[in-house]
Amino acid sequence: MRMLLGPLDATGRLPPRQQTRVAAFLLSCHGAMARQLAIALAWQVKANWHTELNAQFYREAEIVSLLLRATAWEPDPELLFLLPSWEAAWLPRPLAGVADRAQGLAIDIAAFGHALHSVIRPAALLPLEAPAQDPFALALRKIEFESGRMMQGQILFLKSSELLPLRDAVNAAVESRHLQVRRLWDEMLAGIGVERREAQGTASPAAAAATRRGP
Amino acid sequence: MPFLALGSYRIRYELDGPEDRPAYVLVNGLTQYAELWGAYRDALVTRGFRVATFDLLGQGASDKPGLFISRDDQVAALALLIDQLGNTPIFLGGISFGGLIALQYAIAHEDRLAGLVAMSTFAELSPQLLLIGNALRTGLILGGTSYLQDLLLPMNLSDAWLGPQLGNLEAVKRQGWLTNDIYALQNLMESFLDFEPLTPRLSSISIPTMILNGEFDFLTPRALHETLRIHIPDSALIIIPRAYHAFTLEKPALTADLLSSFAEDVLAKRWKGNQSIWIAPEQAGDPLVPFPPGQDHLRAIPAHGGPG
Repeated sequence: MRMLLGPLDATGRLPPRQQTRVAAFLLSCHGAMARQLAIALAWQVKANWHTELNAQFYREAEIVSLLLRATAWEPDPELLFLLPSWEAAWLPRPLAGVADRAQGLAIDIAAFGHALHSVIRPAALLPLEAPAQDPFALALRKIEFESGRMMQGQILFLKSSELLPLRDAVNAAVESRHLQVRRLWDEMLAGIGVERREAQGTASPAAAAATRRGP
Repeated sequence: MPFLALGSYRIRYELDGPEDRPAYVLVNGLTQYAELWGAYRDALVTRGFRVATFDLLGQGASDKPGLFISRDDQVAALALLIDQLGNTPIFLGGISFGGLIALQYAIAHEDRLAGLVAMSTFAELSPQLLLIGNALRTGLILGGTSYLQDLLLPMNLSDAWLGPQLGNLEAVKRQGWLTNDIYALQNLMESFLDFEPLTPRLSSISIPTMILNGEFDFLTPRALHETLRIHIPDSALIIIPRAYHAFTLEKPALTADLLSSFAEDVLAKRWKGNQSIWIAPEQAGDPLVPFPPGQDHLRAIPAHGGPG
């Protein structure tokens, strides 16, 4: 197991198999986020954080478009099994402890967005020797950079005074989604011979507790 | 890698040196992680101390709560670590954000401490510090960890340190960029949103206290350390020549020597704080020099008077 992507192939690129698997995972989760945002924006457009969500919707679509063009794709039969399981994982789910079902779903979507943009740090996997102008490396750096900004919509919502009475449920939803995204990201990376340094420890009690609380 | 359990969260810590020796506990600044105290571990263990370091909640290998971190949780994590050290004399040092956590701990639990070292820190948010903190948070949000590092490096380190590193800055920044997560840093910064000044409670710290302030500290300038000096009865303010905010990174040999000498003086009952003001030597091991009497230590140009 390596801690970073690579080694580079004879042409100086990250191996197409790694590019394909990583890009497929990112397309799946950012695509799911874009679809969920499209629905959320149509559903209600009044709170100030919706401005952030509108911007985020277009940035998620930009990420999908960028990955489609920047990746050196190669056939990967395992994706036939992996993609459906990833897509199922991103589906919104009702929250325990939140009586208003619609509000619970909105919190879960935001928790997923927070996890997606904070846990997944694709640029941190790039080896130092990755060419600065390689399209796939540039795409991973762009995604990680934009994630820090896109997360702000979720933070504004999840920390809003509107949700303060539900703080425990909101915290549990965020920790649960963090754990889920981290686990799937780590499993995907393990499938291409990469193990993040942070993944080498055991899951924390907080993460385990969040899993138990999750639906 | 050992962990403490703070409720459902894990706090990563490390203990070095013999168990029966007086202990130094070192608290990280905002973007730090425990490995950055490596030179201090070596120096202080060599001088006969046990050394405890850890990652605060939201830092390094400790858990990073998704949304909320309170400073009280950080103090509780520090208390857990200090509980690991038994009844040996304990000296607590913290820099910047970590200095604030150390002050909070000392106010609540000073009976557990033999001495306190407050480095590049503050007990209240001056208007400048408040605005700089807000600007740094905005920089983190808009530009990410790398941009925050770009702001902090020239603010907190000297030309003498930065000059030789200019061609290698990306490598210098990389470990911090890898270790820090934006959301966790943002949570740490936002733990200040409800900040209540500690100044009215500083006088309850009766233990020996050494206050270290870089001569050119831009982020937490002299006036913020002066607040500590005039409110903590058994304190002394020591100005580190030619140093900026992050002097613990830039001058580890000198600072580790100051830390060990302070603890040795306290243990030998030689320490007399007297709210005095000193200038640290340029080289580790050289003596402290009293700040020239009659000069104003809050000014950058020679000026008579001042609070004394």
